[in-house]
Amino acid sequence: MPIEFKKNRAMFREEVSVEEAEELLEWLQGRPEAKADLSACNHLHTANLQVLMAAKTVISSWPKNSELRAWLEPVLKLRD
Amino acid sequence: MNPLLEQFISESRELLEGIGQKLMQLEDSPNDRQLIDDLFRSVHTLKGNSGLFTFPEMTRVLHAGEDLLGKVRSGEMAYSRQLADRLLDTMDFVGLLSNEIESTERIDASHAADAARLAESLRALMKEVSVSFTSDPAGSTPITMKSIGAILGELPPLREVPEALRIEAFRRCGNGEKFRWIAYQPAPESFFQGDDPFHRARQTPGLLWGSVQPSEPLPPLAELDTYRCSLKFHLLTAAFHEELVEYFRYVPDQIEIVAVDPLWLAMSECEPENSVGIENDPVSGTPVSEPERSPESIEEIAALARILTAQRQILASGDHPAWLSGRLKAVAAVLKNLANSAGNAEVNDQIEASLTTALASASGRPLLEWLNAHQSRFTTKVVPQFAGSLGPTNAEEETSASATAKPAVDDGTKFGRRAEDSQTGPRSLKVDQAKVDRLMNLIGELVVEKNALPYLAQRAEAQYGMRELSREIKGKYSVINRIADEMQDAIMQVRMMAVSFVFQRFPRLVRDISRKLGKEVRLVLEGEQTEADKNIIESLADPLIHIVRNSLDHGLEMPEIRVAAGKPATGKLTIRAAQEADRVVIEIVDDGKGIDPGVIKQKAYEKGIIDEAMLERISDQEAIDLIFAPGLSTAAVVSDLSGRGVGMDVVRSAVAKVDGTVVVHSELGKGTSIRISLPLSMAVTQVMVIESDGQLFGVPMDHVIETVRVPRSSIRTFKQSKTAVLRGRIVPLKSLNAFLGIAAIPRSNSDDEIAVLLVQAGNAELGLLVDGFQETMGVIQKPFSGFLSGLSAYSGSALMGDGSVLMILNIREIV
Repeated sequence: MPIEFKKNRAMFREEVSVEEAEELLEWLQGRPEAKADLSACNHLHTANLQVLMAAKTVISSWPKNSELRAWLEPVLKLRD
Repeated sequence: MNPLLEQFISESRELLEGIGQKLMQLEDSPNDRQLIDDLFRSVHTLKGNSGLFTFPEMTRVLHAGEDLLGKVRSGEMAYSRQLADRLLDTMDFVGLLSNEIESTERIDASHAADAARLAESLRALMKEVSVSFTSDPAGSTPITMKSIGAILGELPPLREVPEALRIEAFRRCGNGEKFRWIAYQPAPESFFQGDDPFHRARQTPGLLWGSVQPSEPLPPLAELDTYRCSLKFHLLTAAFHEELVEYFRYVPDQIEIVAVDPLWLAMSECEPENSVGIENDPVSGTPVSEPERSPESIEEIAALARILTAQRQILASGDHPAWLSGRLKAVAAVLKNLANSAGNAEVNDQIEASLTTALASASGRPLLEWLNAHQSRFTTKVVPQFAGSLGPTNAEEETSASATAKPAVDDGTKFGRRAEDSQTGPRSLKVDQAKVDRLMNLIGELVVEKNALPYLAQRAEAQYGMRELSREIKGKYSVINRIADEMQDAIMQVRMMAVSFVFQRFPRLVRDISRKLGKEVRLVLEGEQTEADKNIIESLADPLIHIVRNSLDHGLEMPEIRVAAGKPATGKLTIRAAQEADRVVIEIVDDGKGIDPGVIKQKAYEKGIIDEAMLERISDQEAIDLIFAPGLSTAAVVSDLSGRGVGMDVVRSAVAKVDGTVVVHSELGKGTSIRISLPLSMAVTQVMVIESDGQLFGVPMDHVIETVRVPRSSIRTFKQSKTAVLRGRIVPLKSLNAFLGIAAIPRSNSDDEIAVLLVQAGNAELGLLVDGFQETMGVIQKPFSGFLSGLSAYSGSALMGDGSVLMILNIREIV
């Protein structure tokens, strides 16, 4: 399972495919306070990224993969 | 090249030709529904075919063409001259691509931009129609002006790039690297196409920096459509334009590539209006090669671009007014001044030379060519990269992949349609069969005519006593003989076809039939490359289908029965082709239940095909051969597949028609094998000439086993029939004279031996008593026509070299 849903935290692992996006969306819909842990993530499909952006999910830890982090940080870091 | 691709190319050519023709026909009768339907279908087929391979460029334009035709077909759009023009352009482009595929087996990525543009122009046509019928699709603004404007006016938002990276990029520019800005806007439905735009963006070659952002405000979570892509990407990369086009070749309409000028990197903190020269940039450590000159500002460059574009327009205008020379001189003067101001006065001589040529030829071309080749001379040497964004050709190249650029429909880019373009013709020809047949008839006549030369030589010697001349004629004869043989061989090659032409339908046929019957069958095809004359191959199609159906229906058992008999549940049907000497042999082998001679005998007796005496006497093999008798069917139930009693006799007669033979071998419980032997070609028949009662007859060599001389004493007579023992076998003998009703007894030679021609037809052998043997020769056999066609003793006639007619015996009839 590329995304492991904990109580209030989604752990992203390795490569997260388009199939996970729907579940991620549903999961996030009921949990406005949920956080995402991307530390073990190497890639996530555009659809997942989109969901995270739309949900304004707080990222509890950024990917270890620095290249991915450089992509994600500007859009997922909440300014407000 | 793999055969599938080969076929694709030849088919594409055919389809393209058809499409071209139909488009032309439509111009004459634009309302012909049938024609539009055909056209749509052809384009659709072509598109589908191209989709089998990875030729996204081809598929893209064809898809657009198909959509357009679909609209025409449904009546939403009217057929117009313009539409035809664009479709023809598109087809020319596709033709160009197929040529490329043929020579390199791939499409160069450089075509992606053209493909996108063509597709866009076709789609634009659809949009225009849906908006208004009167809009001018050609567009009044020349693309060149627009793209310069786009580049200068709408600089890519480089400010997004973090400063540190921007400075790094700028430094690298100083080392001669070029950067490109890509705006990548994935299609909303791209997820459904299995695309991951984020992944694509991350993998961009030479990527220095990238950003992702919503392409539209993201809706609240509850309304978000997960499967609709609403993100876009901005990328800064050091890769070459070609590399990027190749990388994004599947999505050329979703990206926009802009060459980044180093100045933009340096300036992006400020507004473009307050442009600052490089010298003033404190972070730039770039050494300035000509410190005494300050490089151009954005405004200067824009002005320069305008001036150059104006000069180009002047030079490109095709009219020839009286003041042309003055005009050219004015342009030259402007160019010289520009060069001077850019510190490039040394090119003045070149401009002068081009002007002289231009004046001499009274056209602006030489100057225009010089301008296109040397436009970089008008910028200072500090930022040579900048020249890239100046010239219209480069600017167009950079933006041509952009979806926002106006479709350059009438910008003169045509794909191999112009008459002056050298055409790369296809390497295979499609020739009407009648033409080949005519050639073959002529060669046949030549072969016959050349046979007259030896007679001529004989006459020269015997009648006129000219030995020398006779020898020369013979010499010439051997040369002509060789050439004629080669010609004949060549024309045979033209007519040759691989048996795969017939075989290719079997996988489907076997699959369908075995499904219907509930049997499991594995089809094995062998020797599909074996070649034979077209007529032979074609004559093979129907018999083979009969045989295969029979094998499936009667031969192979149901899976349960097979398992019970200790055989694998899946039956095996092998169709094998091979060449044996000058014949093609096709074998159809199944591992089914085989043919039960007892059942056949009984059936044949019940149907009155054989009488009681025969029933007792007949051997098993002979019984099996009875399946070829008309009116016999062993299947208990008549199915729609086989079993109506027609079939095997039809097979035999069809094969016999092209001078072939069918032999069946069957082992009860083990399976059946049917062997069809056919001549490679039926144009020239090798016959052996025999003599009987002073007359000459021909016997096809296929039937001849051997020629022997048998002493009259060893011929035994039992009642009416004669026999002799040859090589330990008893062979029935028949006198040819008796058979033809010639009242003469076979002559014997001085040793009292009689010439016996041992012939066979099917499994039967017979010794023909004749007077003598002569040479064998190749003849063109002509069947009898009219009244004579009733003569079954002869299969036809042929013309001999001396003009006499040779009757060819029908051995099957005699045996």
